[in-house]
Amino acid sequence: MKKFTKNGTFAMDATDAEMSRRTFIMASALAGTALSTGLLTSSPAHAALDLKGREMVLASWGGSYQDAQKVSYCDPFAAATGVTVIQDGPMNGGKLRTMVESGQPIWDVVDVTDIFLYANAKNDLFEKIDMSIVDTSRVEPAFVHENGVGCIVWSYNVGYNTDAFPGDNHPKTWADIFDVERFPGKRMLRDRVYPTLEQALLADGVAMKDLYPLDVERAFKKLDTIKDDVVWWKSNSQSQQLLTDGAVGCGMILNGRAYDLVKKGGKVNISWDQNIQSIDFFSIPKGAKNADVAQHFMNYMTLAENQATMANIIAYSPVNPAAFSGIEDKVKPWLSTNPDNAAKGMVISGAYWRDHLDELTERWNQWKLT
Amino acid sequence: MLARMKADRFMLLIAPAVGLILIAFAYPVFWLLLRSFSDPVWGLHNYGTALGSFIYLKVLWNTVSIAGSTTALCLLLGYPMAYSMVHSAALVKKLLIFVVLIPFWTSILVRTFAWMILLQPNGIINDMLIGIGLIDAPLDLIFNRTGVLIGMVQILLPFMIFPLFSVMARIDTSYVLAASNLGAPPVKQFFRVYLPLSLPGIVTGSMLVFIISLGYFITPALLGGRTDIMIAQLIEQNISEFGNWGLSSALAIVLLVGTGLMFGIVHKVFKVGPDVRTT
Repeated sequence: MKKFTKNGTFAMDATDAEMSRRTFIMASALAGTALSTGLLTSSPAHAALDLKGREMVLASWGGSYQDAQKVSYCDPFAAATGVTVIQDGPMNGGKLRTMVESGQPIWDVVDVTDIFLYANAKNDLFEKIDMSIVDTSRVEPAFVHENGVGCIVWSYNVGYNTDAFPGDNHPKTWADIFDVERFPGKRMLRDRVYPTLEQALLADGVAMKDLYPLDVERAFKKLDTIKDDVVWWKSNSQSQQLLTDGAVGCGMILNGRAYDLVKKGGKVNISWDQNIQSIDFFSIPKGAKNADVAQHFMNYMTLAENQATMANIIAYSPVNPAAFSGIEDKVKPWLSTNPDNAAKGMVISGAYWRDHLDELTERWNQWKLT
Repeated sequence: MLARMKADRFMLLIAPAVGLILIAFAYPVFWLLLRSFSDPVWGLHNYGTALGSFIYLKVLWNTVSIAGSTTALCLLLGYPMAYSMVHSAALVKKLLIFVVLIPFWTSILVRTFAWMILLQPNGIINDMLIGIGLIDAPLDLIFNRTGVLIGMVQILLPFMIFPLFSVMARIDTSYVLAASNLGAPPVKQFFRVYLPLSLPGIVTGSMLVFIISLGYFITPALLGGRTDIMIAQLIEQNISEFGNWGLSSALAIVLLVGTGLMFGIVHKVFKVGPDVRTT
């Protein structure tokens, strides 16, 4: 199972795919001992874990986002460790669940939203993060979960079309989005119960710190007031289309999507007041074949330079604050974890939605149909 | 002996198709059926939710009514189109077939987004109508049932036109001539002779469009309004968001049984089915 390579480190036999994670960690520990006892003269950290020849599958959301992940996390990881990272996706909750239930997930790392992670961690869908491999100390605590490590932070923002609202009199808060008299015309919100209920309550004057547990009745009552003035978007591309075409004057848009529009010359801007931050996590499906490789990949993902590369390509915000020194100035104002922006907003409560997503989605569907 | 050999050869020929149907259709349906009764515990509770709650009943009704309207509109637009195709010169016929096929070359998603751009309040269609002074304020063409139907009819129209076309092409026009000779006015010729002869095409096309519409997902989601939820959207939501296979399976089975029942009724009433050739 184990053998000495020429330079004296333990190495995984490339063909020995079924080697258990524990054995592997032991092997790494032994290699570490060898290192400390002076058997080895020089060896970078990763050489002790010779992952060369191993494979790992990342399932994410495709498009420019996954392209950016490939450049920011996968390519550097592959270059440093010799692991072949295979891109797959799109991530799909039903597919993931079926894979895990069958006991043979083909994905080793999945990109999941905070709400999905919190809601499904209780269903035993994910491996635990091995904190001895993943150095979570460099990540903001709010972005670390027992079953996942945050990779990016984005936020739900108040957005507006600058042709519809030129000058200073534009919507800034959720109360403005809900005020059809001051800001007439159609507005857009996302066709999901979260964070729409949060937005309704913030619009109704609830303070950010008093939001949870949500006053559901009050939220739906507030939503009733603008029921017919809203276009409910289902996909992020749709939200971009609606706002940049002027089909709606204002509404909720993700910060990264607004940045993308502005970069392409779209007449769009966002306000950071009451922004609601959300996190994408990397998690390992329960029973993943290459869970050991995945743990190391996660560690690599959190490195400041990789996080900075990601932000520079696609303006999603880093979970590692040290990354900011490597981020271009023109991108910084668009990032949710930029201290100025973070101070004006809040992080959505994954724990609240873990406990209430089912019933409130039911309620949401019912509300929409009446 | 010869007959026996022929039968064997026939079995051999249909074996792949039968095998594929068993693996790709019968097994998944059986699996859904099982899960609809057993997930999370054995019983009828999933069917209780699917058929007993306001949300699912309303959405099932939405689904049937959207699919029904789409079918009716496709028939209204497709029938004259198919008729023109059959009775036009060879070159025009080719051109028309080409035009009907064009939509198949672009993805549903792209076409749906294109409709968003065309139909929105400040979109091309409204701008044009206002420009020529036909209307003063933009029409609500999108994010409501109108938008859903426009998008779905455009996408599904070929499924109506081609069955009609193939049946009409085989109608012997001397029947119509005979009716004319016997003194039937044109309207009567059509309703008494041509229409009944084209009925197999109508039934096939309508069934195809109706059944495909029942499972529609992207178009109603992107072009519809708050209340235009179809059952496929709830099935997807229940599976990918909540892993609720039991309820999703029950909804799928309800849809399947409903479709089967309708199929049976159509078969009984018209004495024809999508697979029956009458000429």
